[in-house]
Amino acid sequence: MSARAATKEATETKTAPKTSLAPPWNVIVHDDPVTLMTYVTKVFMQVFGYPQERAHRLMMEVHKSGRSVVWTGAREQAELYVQKLQAHHLLTSLEVVDA
Amino acid sequence: MWAGRVDEGYVFGGLSAGCVETLKGVPMLLESADVRVRERLLPETCTDGDDEEHWRRHAVPELERLFASRAQLVRRDLAGLRKLGKSDTQLLLIPNQHVNAWLAALNAARLALYVLNDLKASHLEADGFAAATAKQQEAILRIHVLAEVQSVLLGDYEIESGGPMESLDPDRIDLDGDLDDLDDVTRPDPE
Repeated sequence: MSARAATKEATETKTAPKTSLAPPWNVIVHDDPVTLMTYVTKVFMQVFGYPQERAHRLMMEVHKSGRSVVWTGAREQAELYVQKLQAHHLLTSLEVVDA
Repeated sequence: MWAGRVDEGYVFGGLSAGCVETLKGVPMLLESADVRVRERLLPETCTDGDDEEHWRRHAVPELERLFASRAQLVRRDLAGLRKLGKSDTQLLLIPNQHVNAWLAALNAARLALYVLNDLKASHLEADGFAAATAKQQEAILRIHVLAEVQSVLLGDYEIESGGPMESLDPDRIDLDGDLDDLDDVTRPDPE
């Protein structure tokens, strides 16, 4: 390594941020055989403000894949969304996004 | 059972004793203390133990309060059930402002019936009914009745508006199909 490169590395190390950003969280909705499809779509529209097309697409993903990540973002907001979805009795969980 | 739309909300008529009993069970199921119902309505949410504990401490009590107030509201509407003219059936009005609460409560009741009767997804399919026990079959029928009510509130069926509630004269309703007869409508698929 040249002296110039070593100096650059030292500078970069010095200015690196001391804190890391909090990781995002996923809001996951799981399939259940009881809840009506139109109800799930309506809840997605109501809770997230998604247009019908997007809400329907996510609902179909839940139905076909067994689960779908319906929102990703800051933990506090993710918790709020999960609480709202559970208020409508959708089977929902929270998971931190792996780095 | 038939459904109609009035200015004040949705009217469900032709409710047999079985339908009425099923609807009256909704708030009870929502408030059930049975561990299977609790686990479904307030499910494990986080994989990490500390996160789950935080969730149980902060979010769950609020959800419990919401379910309790929703059960009260549904119970109040059910108290307004009345006889439909000269027939033995009854009539229920779900006010417009209570529709969202009813939708959620009906969903909770359907989920509760499912877990309380050890039902499986296959039981809800067309050929699954025969494989169920008598008690399970009764639960499946109740789940379907509640789904019909939910579907009407979701707008899955086309229903004409009939003006104000006071203009609805139960004695003059033709039970053979003056209003939409739900028996003839195909039920939407469950999610």
